[in-house]
Amino acid sequence: MSDTAAFPTRSSQRASRRPLQAPQALRTLLRSPLGMLGLAWLVVIVVASLTAPLWLPYPIEYQDFSAVLAGPSAAHLLGTDELGRDVLSRIFAAGAGSLITTFLAAVVAIGVALPLALIAAASSARIETIINRVTEIAMSIPALVIIIAVIGAVGTNLYLVMTCLGLLIAGGIYRVFVGQAKSLQSQLYVDAAEVDGLRPAMVSIRHILPNMATTIFVQFVLVFAIGLMLQAGLAFIGFGPQPPEPSWGGLIQSASKQIYVHPWLMVPTGLVLVFTVLGANAVADTLAGGQGAPPSQVALGPEARRRRRELKAAAPVAVESAPEGMLIVKGLTIGVDDGPELVSSVSFEVAPGTVLGVVGESGCGKTLTALSLVGLLPPGVNPREGSIRWGARDLARLDESGLAAIRGREIGFVGQEPMRALDPMFTIGYQLAGAVRRLRGVGKADARAEAASLLGKVGIVDAERVLRSYPHQISGGMAQRVAIALALAGRPKLLIADEPTTALDVTVQAEILSLLRGLVAETGMSMVMVTHDFGVVADICDEVVVMYAGQVIESGTVHDVLGAAEHPYTTALLAADPHAGLGVVGQERLASIPGQVPQPRDWPTGCRFADRCAFAQPQCVVPVPLIARDRGDGGVRCVRVHELQLGRLDDPVPLDAATPVDGGADPTAPTTAAAPARNGKVRS
Amino acid sequence: MILFVIKRFALAVTTVFVVSVLVFLLVHAGDTTPGVVAVGIGGTQEQIEAYNEQIGWYDPLIVQYLAWLGSALTGDLGTSLTNGSDVLDEILRRFPVTASLAFGATVVSSVLGVVLGVTAAVRRGLADRLVSVFAGMGAAVPAFWLGIVLVFVFAVQSSLLPATGYVRFEDSPSGWFSSLVLPVLTLAIGGAAFIARQTRASMLEALGQEYIRTLRATAMPTWRILYVHALRSASLPIVASIALQFIALFGGSIIVEVLFALPGLGVAVQGAVGQADAPAVQGIVVVATLVVVVVNLLLELTNSFLDPKLRTS
Amino acid sequence: MTAETLNAADVYAGIGDAPPPVLEIEDLVVRYGRGRAALAAPPAVDRVSLSIQPGETVGLVGESGSGKTTIGRAVLGLERVTSGSIRFNGRDVTNLSAKERRALGGDLRAVFQDPYSSLNPRLTIGSSLAEPLRIAGVTAADAAARAGAMLESVGLPADAAARYPRQFSGGQRQRIAVARALITNPSLVICDEPVSALDLSTQAQVLNLLADLRAERKLSYLFIAHDIGVVGFLAQRVVVLYRGQVMESGPAANVTTAPVHPFTQALTAASPVPRPAEQAARRAAREASGVKTAGNADFAGVGCPFAARCPLATELCRTERPPLRAVGGSLAACHYAEEAAARPIA
Repeated sequence: MSDTAAFPTRSSQRASRRPLQAPQALRTLLRSPLGMLGLAWLVVIVVASLTAPLWLPYPIEYQDFSAVLAGPSAAHLLGTDELGRDVLSRIFAAGAGSLITTFLAAVVAIGVALPLALIAAASSARIETIINRVTEIAMSIPALVIIIAVIGAVGTNLYLVMTCLGLLIAGGIYRVFVGQAKSLQSQLYVDAAEVDGLRPAMVSIRHILPNMATTIFVQFVLVFAIGLMLQAGLAFIGFGPQPPEPSWGGLIQSASKQIYVHPWLMVPTGLVLVFTVLGANAVADTLAGGQGAPPSQVALGPEARRRRRELKAAAPVAVESAPEGMLIVKGLTIGVDDGPELVSSVSFEVAPGTVLGVVGESGCGKTLTALSLVGLLPPGVNPREGSIRWGARDLARLDESGLAAIRGREIGFVGQEPMRALDPMFTIGYQLAGAVRRLRGVGKADARAEAASLLGKVGIVDAERVLRSYPHQISGGMAQRVAIALALAGRPKLLIADEPTTALDVTVQAEILSLLRGLVAETGMSMVMVTHDFGVVADICDEVVVMYAGQVIESGTVHDVLGAAEHPYTTALLAADPHAGLGVVGQERLASIPGQVPQPRDWPTGCRFADRCAFAQPQCVVPVPLIARDRGDGGVRCVRVHELQLGRLDDPVPLDAATPVDGGADPTAPTTAAAPARNGKVRS
Repeated sequence: MILFVIKRFALAVTTVFVVSVLVFLLVHAGDTTPGVVAVGIGGTQEQIEAYNEQIGWYDPLIVQYLAWLGSALTGDLGTSLTNGSDVLDEILRRFPVTASLAFGATVVSSVLGVVLGVTAAVRRGLADRLVSVFAGMGAAVPAFWLGIVLVFVFAVQSSLLPATGYVRFEDSPSGWFSSLVLPVLTLAIGGAAFIARQTRASMLEALGQEYIRTLRATAMPTWRILYVHALRSASLPIVASIALQFIALFGGSIIVEVLFALPGLGVAVQGAVGQADAPAVQGIVVVATLVVVVVNLLLELTNSFLDPKLRTS
Repeated sequence: MTAETLNAADVYAGIGDAPPPVLEIEDLVVRYGRGRAALAAPPAVDRVSLSIQPGETVGLVGESGSGKTTIGRAVLGLERVTSGSIRFNGRDVTNLSAKERRALGGDLRAVFQDPYSSLNPRLTIGSSLAEPLRIAGVTAADAAARAGAMLESVGLPADAAARYPRQFSGGQRQRIAVARALITNPSLVICDEPVSALDLSTQAQVLNLLADLRAERKLSYLFIAHDIGVVGFLAQRVVVLYRGQVMESGPAANVTTAPVHPFTQALTAASPVPRPAEQAARRAAREASGVKTAGNADFAGVGCPFAARCPLATELCRTERPPLRAVGGSLAACHYAEEAAARPIA
């Protein structure tokens, strides 16, 4: 379960989309030049404004009659206004007032929105609805119009005006907060705290609030920026603060009267305002950037161009043609562009009409291997070496248009999450008939009829109703049938199935496996089945490759690999499977493997499993090739395979003696229990 | 779906009602009574009192509000204290100006924002950075400032377009158009920046979804994935952001009207507030809110129609 | 360990001088939502009764939507109970307030499914562990010491207390979650799918840890899982749920190896074993059994919820809800349990 957050794999998406933590947020800010610049400007402006009386070149009311409406000069760095007053001095003297009142707007907005969001998230649906409605009303009021009406009633009292702004804007801020507060409220650690009997208010303060810190700060800065703009705008139309008190709005107000006479006067104050708003936005953007979108599924722009260039530049490799319907993968290495290797030199073959299982734990590269067979690797992750031979073509060296010609028509793909595999915006009929039209070049009416018959083929009885449905209207099992129908739309000769049953209930899984098995038998297509479940392998596969840390560590027929596993990892994993003991009563302990799958950057040069292996010896630190199986066809990546003869044990279930007690060891330390020489029989 | 429409409609009515109460209270909170304004500078205290008495200014607030609401519902928003004209007539006369401006700016900012946002998300690299810079600047430059720059470039320096003033559509369609170009642009840039950011983010979000992989696996051409499927899914948040933007644009039109001397509702509300013209302030604010709420409601219903989950419920 | 767990089961069998159960759930009903529409739909949990003896582990198995997680949450006070009662160590704990839950003093605890969301990312492991103790009024120093000791007993170094959740892998976090549950010395722990998010090798580590701690501390578990293999490993007694109702309950060995309810049979038959020849036979038997697809088998709330998929279902099943009754060594809610039990099934 080691999440490789740096790489765009499925498991990392979940982790990378979590809200930024405060220390992390600060680091993000420090790393971004734009964010730093924004922060620096804000600090300078705030400090300079608050300390203005100490350093200003001129008193704010000092009038230089010799330089009325002058441009920048040595005496007046930013020029003078219509009364000959120094603009620089006035800007910074005004700063404190403008900043403090704007600050007030932000405080009011956050101060109202945050408690409401926390209450809404923690309360019943009814209270949340009430709060939602009230804030929606606040959001659809044209704020500027109301604020002008307020000014009409009470005059240009900036504190009051900014408080009003804060109140009016709080609705929008609340919407941002409540979304996050609700998702935090549904976290299991909140449940855990409630089980403990922690008071609801304390739950909010201790478990919700700290996790919202970044969002709160971002919104604070954004309201601040809006407040500054609004103050200036009000001043421009004559509702600014009244003289003699200088304020940025007031400066702009008086400058706006001189627009056609002396436009320069608008420049200094305007720029200070613009830069301050820009700075605030830059800080907010940088902090919010960490919560950005998931990595794109389509290579676009520079990424796509780079891949095209690489493929063009690569020397054409003479590729032996694979026999019709045969997939031959040789020495396939996949890596992140300019990053680590994720799959190392994987080789296997899939003969027509057979099912190959690719099995392993998460983070072992099995999904990436499967995706590469259809050219569906995430952008920025590409094959580096080796070949994927399919007919006369090498899929590892094919460009996007070449792959598009193969996808769906020759090689189909079914993914893990059926509910996310279908576009929620379109009906199933539209998606399925569209695929049929594209892949078979038939007309609209024929495609629709074919779509219905495809649904029948995957065991959907009321095809017409399902065709009219949207994805959200059908169950997960049904959605997976539809996804399989989509994959079959172009009558492919090879189906790549990436954990197609993992998200389903076990009775539905059995149905889908039966369906797939029937399709293979009926159409003669071959299949690559990625799974972490040895039971699924036993059910549907003919051949199997076991992957660990990006490598194939064992391969062979299902009978050999599951019945007489030879690699210590495979034997240990099989022993850890509680289903192995299904029906076996009184099993006291499961065999387990200490530690966890290493991350790609930590892969050793020698045997990648050695750290966790009960049989590891000094000779295991050298790179291990795939050695022919002790019995049967296939390979095992273990230097001790012939010596250990794990596959010859009568009882394939090893026991506690073989694996160190999982409880005691520091998972990062190498295996502590010495590997017992185990050549004889073992006891259950 | 029907229930949803009813709920949104009820909320819209509530919003207008809340604003009308709010403005009513604000008008009464000021220290200038209508009499002072209506009678004028030379008036005596008795004249002022008499005027106030006559319009019922000293009645209980609730009675006054209900009276106002009653006549407002029949289309009578009272008469202006300063020039005695009918407030509703005045609003109707000025409405086309503000409407042209606000709708023009909404259309321009939507088109510009969506095009830029999609380009940034799809082309990445330099295009993405340029749009980011535009979005950043657009959000930070105050409208009046931008307006002045535009006037300087297009009117003062090159006289391609009129600097200020409004030509009615009935008088000269082309004149109407050119009188609106600069105001609409001024108002639209900030909105376009906002919508471009939203569009870019929604497109990227859509492109990260797993169904995109299914589409690729069934050999859908990339352009179709981008402009049919990703854009379709991004359309929901984009329309929502346009709805929000309209509110801001309608408010922002006050500033632009003042800058370009357009005789719209914004200038009217500025004047009415400045002169404490209570009936005018009340009328204009309520009508402005009504327009915003109606447009917002329409956009929201559009959005719910775009969402299959809401439509099929 | 074996001796003790067998004792617990024996004690349960010999009803005579049984100690009072740790947990007694009677006729539990939980409905989601309110209003007419919610009342028309079948409840998420529908008249479920079960009890757990001291030192016993009861497995709660079912597919998605079976109500198993809801039952766990109702016991923990996280879900509002519509009717029925939950007694914990003889005390009514139905719909307790936060204050009343506090008074339980950490005797009833939970381990949740997702190791990524069960620990607050902003708190150190130490302060997450200390929280329940601090709520119970333990001093900070004592709580820290106990947190360190607890971490060691789940196989983590004591200095882990100073680190943050993101520095640990999924399996390690689940150990931490176990430590957090056990730090108050509870008598009952609700384990809600504690290993389903973990890989095989880590899953085995956590299951073994749970088994060891149970032996050491005489714990009772309500072990909730969708995987009958996992439940069969840890539980002495298994309760099988379908659409909020108990289908079958009995000793783990009976339920997993000789199920008498057609649904339990379908569930065990569908669970694939990693032995190709055996699995082929199981698959053939399953395909021959005539269980219908889960597809869109709607349940309106009348009769047996499994009737739409059941190969043995008759008109009786569709109109009358079968009562839970003794069949063989188990209890089954099926009109035709005897016939079902007699069928050859994998």
